[in-house]
Amino acid sequence: MGRTVVTILLMTLTVFASDMNVYERNCVECHKKLPVSLDKFFFNYLLKYSSERRVKQALRNYLKHPRKKASLATEELVARYGLMPKTTLSDKELKEAIDIYWEKYKVFGKIE
Amino acid sequence: MSVSNVTATGINRSERITLVRFIALYSFLVLMILILGSTIYFKLQKDLMLQTKRLELEEYSKELIDGLKLLHIYFDRYRTYPRNPLYRSAIYDADHVQIFSTLKHPEGVRLDRVIYTTDGVIQYIHVLDSYYLGTKYTVVEIDDDRRWFVQTWNSILIYGGTLLVIFLIAGVVLMRLFLAPMRNAIHLLDRFIKDTTHELNTPVSAILSNIEMIDTEKIDPKTAKKIRRIEIGARTISTIYQDLTYLALNHKIASQDEHVDVSSLVQERIDYFRILGESKKITFETDIQPGVRLYIDRGKMARLIDNLLSNAIKYNKRGGEIFVRLRPKELVIKDSGIGMEEDQIKEVFKRYKRLESGAGGFGIGLSIVAMIANEYDLDIDIRSRKGYGSEVRVKWDEQ
Repeated sequence: MGRTVVTILLMTLTVFASDMNVYERNCVECHKKLPVSLDKFFFNYLLKYSSERRVKQALRNYLKHPRKKASLATEELVARYGLMPKTTLSDKELKEAIDIYWEKYKVFGKIE
Repeated sequence: MSVSNVTATGINRSERITLVRFIALYSFLVLMILILGSTIYFKLQKDLMLQTKRLELEEYSKELIDGLKLLHIYFDRYRTYPRNPLYRSAIYDADHVQIFSTLKHPEGVRLDRVIYTTDGVIQYIHVLDSYYLGTKYTVVEIDDDRRWFVQTWNSILIYGGTLLVIFLIAGVVLMRLFLAPMRNAIHLLDRFIKDTTHELNTPVSAILSNIEMIDTEKIDPKTAKKIRRIEIGARTISTIYQDLTYLALNHKIASQDEHVDVSSLVQERIDYFRILGESKKITFETDIQPGVRLYIDRGKMARLIDNLLSNAIKYNKRGGEIFVRLRPKELVIKDSGIGMEEDQIKEVFKRYKRLESGAGGFGIGLSIVAMIANEYDLDIDIRSRKGYGSEVRVKWDEQ
């Protein structure tokens, strides 16, 4: 499992290194094939954790140690697609990916 | 002017001072109690107003949360914040960061409270269980019409003022009640002093006039010496009598001012006191310019000169001297006596103040001088050096 992820990672690295960032390479790539959309998840996290600091902390914890109990996905989704694999990114890359994710979906400045 | 409430002991003045002090302390305490009561009343009224407004604000808050919920669900399509002209609102996340606001006073928001007033608005905070759009706190704000504030202040002023007046009247009545026994006792003493003073006049005058009638050349020197001593004693009593009468009666009676020939008056008083000075072997040296006049009550001017001369004798040493100089606008009386310290000079005008207990007298002399000087705008300047004597300068403006 881990090996395939590394292989994919290496492949994507070589192919898209020039115009894709760490979030697009590692999160979007996988999620766009799944019906579990990233924006819905963002609002689920917002609903549960409220602030930027708490949302980012929860995301980081979950990505590093995915547990069924901590998952915000419905039981059906988990039963069908399983839990997300543990991240292979370094702390720095993970932080960067989460920061990009937050910037993309945050509500600050978007409400009219 | 009526003399019915004139007293020798100054009870009216003392009573007024006591009354004023008591009323000051009493008012202070009553005010403290009233302020405390008003503060509690004010707070209660404010809480009452906020409780009434709270129901309204809770409704607005629910409406806002419903709007936020819809916005949360359809945020990908629809991003307009739920607004209502009846109120203004704001949303904050769990770290107290403002997400969106239409508030008039966002700087006054206190997320740790529930309902409060700030800067003319009432704000109500509601904590959400589900954080739609990350919102943990909703703030709903309406204008505070301040009607409750004006009404509360009116009540405080009207009821507080009435209570204060009632308390003060009660205080004065109580005070008078408590003071009554003391006042009666003092009035009795006062009457006694007045009567005694009055009774003193006839015998002293009799003694003095009879001594004057004695032809000293016809009696032997030993008896003449004794008679002289009697005369000194009688004159001393006479001076004390004059002072007491002045304190008890004279200064309350309207003055009979006239153009007084101060030169002859000063000479006359010196002659009167010369005999008292002789008992201490005190010599008088005078430099009196004739024809100095002053518009004043003659009796009062005599009391002033008498007291200054009497002090110059009383506080002089044996065989000392007294220097009296009179010029237009100035009278100087200087002695070679014991003198005073710097800080004693300020004290001398106080009634019953005696610098030397051995010197006799009541200590009312200079206080009489001060009273007269005050009435006629005379300027009194005392210079003194301990052990060398004192100099009193009385100055006045030409009239």
